[in-house]
Amino acid sequence: MQQEAFANTEDFGGPDIVAVPGRLARPGRDAPYASYELARAFDEMFAADGAVRPPYAALDSRLSTLSLEELSRRQQACEQSFLHQGITFTVYNDNRATERIIPTDLLPRIITAAEWARLEAGLTQRIVALNMFLRDIYGDGRVLKDGVVPRAMIFGSKHYRREMRGLPVPHGAYVNICGSDLIRNESGAFVVLEDNLRVPSGVSYMLANRDVARRAFPAVFRSMNVRPIEQYPLELLATLRSLAPFHEDVSIAVLTPGVFNSAYFEHAFLARQMGVELVEGRDLLINDNVVYTRTTSGLKRIDVIYRRIDDDFVDPLIFREDSALGVPGLFNAYRAGNVMIANALGTGVADDKAVYAYVPRLIRYYLSEEPILDNVETFLCREEKSLNHVLANLDKLVVKAVGESGGYGMLVGPHASQTEREEFAAKVKADPDNYIAQPTIQLSTAPTFVGKGVEARHVDLRPFILHGAETKIVPGALTRVALKRGSLVVNSSQGGGSKDTWVLSQ
Amino acid sequence: MFYSIRHVNLFRYSAPVRESVMELRMQPRSEGPQTLRSFQISTNPRAQLYAYTDHLGNAVYHFNLLREHEELRIEAQAVVEIGAFPELPEKLDALEWGRYNSYNLHDDHYDMLGHSKFARPSPELLSFMTIADLEKPAGDPLTALRHLQRTIYDSFEYKSGVTEVHSPIEVALEQRLGVCQDFAHIMIAIARGWGIPTRYVSGYLHHKGSRDRSRADATHAWVESYLPSLGWVGFDPTNNIAPRERHIRAAVGRDYADVPPTRGTYKGGADSELSIAVSLEPTAAPVRHEDFLKVARPMSATPPTPSMPERLYLQQQQQQQQQQQQQQ
Repeated sequence: MQQEAFANTEDFGGPDIVAVPGRLARPGRDAPYASYELARAFDEMFAADGAVRPPYAALDSRLSTLSLEELSRRQQACEQSFLHQGITFTVYNDNRATERIIPTDLLPRIITAAEWARLEAGLTQRIVALNMFLRDIYGDGRVLKDGVVPRAMIFGSKHYRREMRGLPVPHGAYVNICGSDLIRNESGAFVVLEDNLRVPSGVSYMLANRDVARRAFPAVFRSMNVRPIEQYPLELLATLRSLAPFHEDVSIAVLTPGVFNSAYFEHAFLARQMGVELVEGRDLLINDNVVYTRTTSGLKRIDVIYRRIDDDFVDPLIFREDSALGVPGLFNAYRAGNVMIANALGTGVADDKAVYAYVPRLIRYYLSEEPILDNVETFLCREEKSLNHVLANLDKLVVKAVGESGGYGMLVGPHASQTEREEFAAKVKADPDNYIAQPTIQLSTAPTFVGKGVEARHVDLRPFILHGAETKIVPGALTRVALKRGSLVVNSSQGGGSKDTWVLSQ
Repeated sequence: MFYSIRHVNLFRYSAPVRESVMELRMQPRSEGPQTLRSFQISTNPRAQLYAYTDHLGNAVYHFNLLREHEELRIEAQAVVEIGAFPELPEKLDALEWGRYNSYNLHDDHYDMLGHSKFARPSPELLSFMTIADLEKPAGDPLTALRHLQRTIYDSFEYKSGVTEVHSPIEVALEQRLGVCQDFAHIMIAIARGWGIPTRYVSGYLHHKGSRDRSRADATHAWVESYLPSLGWVGFDPTNNIAPRERHIRAAVGRDYADVPPTRGTYKGGADSELSIAVSLEPTAAPVRHEDFLKVARPMSATPPTPSMPERLYLQQQQQQQQQQQQQQ
């Protein structure tokens, strides 16, 4: 069905893509960029003077030969493809039907080899330091004794798991799967916005987007030496296997909350791609401190669990006793080393938004290196000076609760009403330790097809980092797009979409 | 001297249940003046027991029972020797407050300073502190804690049945009634508010005469506060006494939630009923208990919880945030 939709758009026989670097497309005047606005933000495709940046030259050439009708057809084909594959996402706090397809944009976002090399080095450095930090705070606590990070911040964190103290994890790797959020700031540099160390999701959209963009622009794709990402599921499998090195035939399962979870599509997708079991908590049971899954032919032992449920819910015996999703006794089997869990429990303490502010210091502390990737400037409300600054500048800042994710519990100062700001200020004053603030950042913009042409929309970048016996980053990422003009909110739960990310090999 | 302790938990289910999983914190600790001389634990139906030491140094046993059962009996027997306790001074010097610094305090102390599930400030607690003039500690830390112990003892009446195992301290604070667990949590919350690392102790009390308010033949709870020049020092706000030779320590934690003697789950739609029997006798040397089990009202054990209903199951599936929607 999808192939048919694309069949008449194939440009195999078309002219070779001729890249003309530096062609002036005059965004804002020429089709299809007639309403393309270059503003304060860094634009991925156009330099400030309107010249097309070299990596986008081939795409630009192709776009200039396609009619809007043709682009629309290809865009619809992309959406059809997502719909047919069931690539959906659930939006909460919405009384209407909650299952939606992720809007996808057919225009790829391009990252050069040099940019990627820097990202790869920076992300590797970061995940190594964060894992050392986790091993430290669940072990000797050297970083606390040395006063680099305040103890109250760790022990007061709702994601700190005392049960993990003194418990060894394979390779010292607590975070095995990480999905960091980066943005490109106004000067064009990538900075880290958040480290998602608990149950990061979205990798299935990265893979699905590749399918659609490659079909929408096959010749451009072929001409550009885009690095492949299709191996991600196998790399994930290898990472999970490396957690149980002493087993010859490692039995792995993906533990999902269930079909009603927003990311269930991804859980099923990854399990299928890896060829491993997809299980819910109720499919598992513990006997004599070993984890089994119930199968039609009896119990089958599980050695490694890639869990997609939060720490709190993993084991009702140890954590939230009202958890219906977890497996009673799982943590003790884990403690005994009879099963490995990825990510390890208690990683959330390191992606707390307050700890985030300390990551550059942690890199220097553990690795004696300067951070390759910068953080976004962050004000910790627990520090009185910062708190006063934050309260005085609420209209300019984004304020976030430290333990939350997904745009919950936050205030976007410039877009909030006076009342909203006052209400939020009261919350911050009541519990300053729980809040941080950052300046509103102009996320970079990338060309996005909007029906009547190609316009600039804000984007971020989420690469996926695997860390077991070694660190691996598949050369790709999920680029999320704020589809509303001017909007900085890329969250899929709040009307964001996504697009393919092409990492060039040279 | 020696004490012989027998502690039985009997769970009865209204219909057969299966896949019971349990964790037990019933083994007396062996440290300081208290030495564990012998310990046995058994279950009926029989189960393979596993054990580990948690990060607080408590011995934890755990087991599972796959097959159907209508009753589960857990019996622990221990012989404990209690040696001489060091004499506590009348008071400490006022400089003791200054010793709460990073030279003297370690991670384990800091962890006993924060809020925990049952020991946290609330308007009810603050109002009690105002009325009882406990907003600021009076005198050196030892004197202040003794005064706090006495104030709780004087302000609350011991009454079982008003609060439950899972009651927040507000219930006791509103009615000025409660049991050892409530008094311990109140004392912990106030002492931590003063900056004194304070922890919960679950254990047993050998009763002597009628002066003790807590019930004989039951588990007991009190607190320990950290004094830099003395170490962890016990306080029993239920009986207004300093825990010494009669108090047998089983487990320590931030509050009750860290150290219930039994904690478990099972599958099946049945209700459970828990009976607890404790007997505690001084003994010249380790002895065997005869069948003199005295059954007391369950006071400080968590009954196992049945599996959650489907509605909750669906709701929780949706709550898992998946770090999907991070936002700038």
